[in-house]
Amino acid sequence: MGWFDSRLGLSYQLLRPAPQYSVNPFYWLGALATVAFVIQGVTGAIMMLYYVPSPTQAYATTQYIFQNVSYGTFLETIHLYTAYAMIMLAFMHLMRGYFVSVHKKPRELMWVTGMVMGFVTLGFGFTGYLLPWTIVSKSATDVGIGMMGALPQPLANFLTFLIVGSGTDAGELLRFFDLHVFVLPAVLLVLLVVKMYMLEAHGVSEPTTGIESLPPKKRKLIPIFPDVSFYLVELAALFGSAVIIISVIFPLSLPPEYSASLAGQYVSQPDWYFLWVYQILKISALEEAGLSVALSVVTLIFIALVLLPFIDRGKTRSIRDRIVYVTLGAIFAAEVAVLAVWGYLTPGIAIPDETAGLVLGGTALLVTMGTVVAYKAVFGGLRSIVKGRASGAPQKPPAVSKSVSSRSAAVWTSGIFVCLLVAGAYFIGDSISGVIALRLGASGALLSLVVSLAGLSLTVVGTMFLLYRLDLGSGLIRRRIRAFELGWKE
Amino acid sequence: MSDEQSVAEKNTVVTERMGLRIVSLLLIIGTISVFMLWSVNPVGSGRESTFALFLAVDLVSVAMISYVGRSVTREGRMARAPLIAGCCMILFLVLTGIYLLS
Repeated sequence: MGWFDSRLGLSYQLLRPAPQYSVNPFYWLGALATVAFVIQGVTGAIMMLYYVPSPTQAYATTQYIFQNVSYGTFLETIHLYTAYAMIMLAFMHLMRGYFVSVHKKPRELMWVTGMVMGFVTLGFGFTGYLLPWTIVSKSATDVGIGMMGALPQPLANFLTFLIVGSGTDAGELLRFFDLHVFVLPAVLLVLLVVKMYMLEAHGVSEPTTGIESLPPKKRKLIPIFPDVSFYLVELAALFGSAVIIISVIFPLSLPPEYSASLAGQYVSQPDWYFLWVYQILKISALEEAGLSVALSVVTLIFIALVLLPFIDRGKTRSIRDRIVYVTLGAIFAAEVAVLAVWGYLTPGIAIPDETAGLVLGGTALLVTMGTVVAYKAVFGGLRSIVKGRASGAPQKPPAVSKSVSSRSAAVWTSGIFVCLLVAGAYFIGDSISGVIALRLGASGALLSLVVSLAGLSLTVVGTMFLLYRLDLGSGLIRRRIRAFELGWKE
Repeated sequence: MSDEQSVAEKNTVVTERMGLRIVSLLLIIGTISVFMLWSVNPVGSGRESTFALFLAVDLVSVAMISYVGRSVTREGRMARAPLIAGCCMILFLVLTGIYLLS
């Protein structure tokens, strides 16, 4: 190692050292997404040796890779799963950044750059999906292109020109290929350099509780080489092995080739990362209002995310003092997950307004209750938080009792709450299935729907009872119940 | 030099020796799995799975070597749990790979 170091200058401090507390996978989700991007670059370059971007040959050459190229199925599977992993990691990176307020001064532009990188990542998914020219990919892409036409002008014209070209299948596929292989990687690399430059300027973000709250050992700075580099190698290798193992368990198979006659029989549906958007567009009220109104709702969500640093301008980064934003973030993440699963289960079925209201409202209610209980359990009560904020008292978290009974009560409370959440999620899913079955006229569907709605109601009542008892635990009753003892103050 | 310092130094030396042995063993496992994965006939999906599993063995070995290197040089001690988990994972992957090969 010393020999290489003296020749290559590996230990020369080119990059600023990172704090010890950043040796944590959650600080490196973006780095893992970059690793996924590199793996896709390598596997994609190998596949490009065989692939021909023409409607008459795209499917045949993809099939050739699957059947005749050594390790071809493995390459295709890894390429797809790392793309999925990249999107998932980018989303986790976004949500983690949101919850720990990395978008606040001085990192506003890092957030905006990261959001643009997220859109480019989704663009990779959209453009890459068409390339195998299967019935699944072509139908879903056609739906996506159709939706673009409903966007406000001149954006609609610009996007249509950019990705459809002359309007022929050949022109469309070639443009998608060029975007996927040359344009988007180049844009992503430039944005990556810009973001890395800003990361180098600002450093790793501090913990939300402030750097003073950490022990000196955690505050210590460690060099990028070898400490952080070794850690990143470790994470990247584990990530790679996880993707490989998943690809062995669930190998990819190629759907049938696209043909106009087959397309008529197939219910088109986008890939999972666009399913939540697809599901929003299927809500009856939005469908009736027109595609442009529905797309405007989705566009507004994206714009709000990009402009978040200029909307959430409070100075505090503490999670304790941002209950509204934390709750909104948790609702957003939960709604995206519920909409995606729901969209997967109901391809091509319009969603009645009442069902949409019940499911989305129920999810929001459960998540809000969950956040309130979590705040109560972790920070010791909303009243104290509100009081602390109103009186301008220091925003440090209260000292947590380390007594065994308090810990045990916390475990019990969390356990009961997790059970309620799981039950809530199950009954929401069961209600959706019940509604679908009812619409399809299945026998016993009404009974199943009634049972699941009753279960959902019981879960909501149970959660409210838990909240009620936690409040009573603050000293108004004397009869202790171990499971609800957490908020008790003598 | 106090007793505590000398005990800490002895522990560091022991950890370094242990680390060296573990890294050597992992390098041997990695080399064997590289040899195995490139000797597999790539035609057929079962064979591709074997290739993939031996590649995963390599990656887990690299992760463990990196962990050992980082722990020994910076902290002077290693936690057992990650090493045991890594060894179990390697064993499982190798056995599954051999099973698929047969």
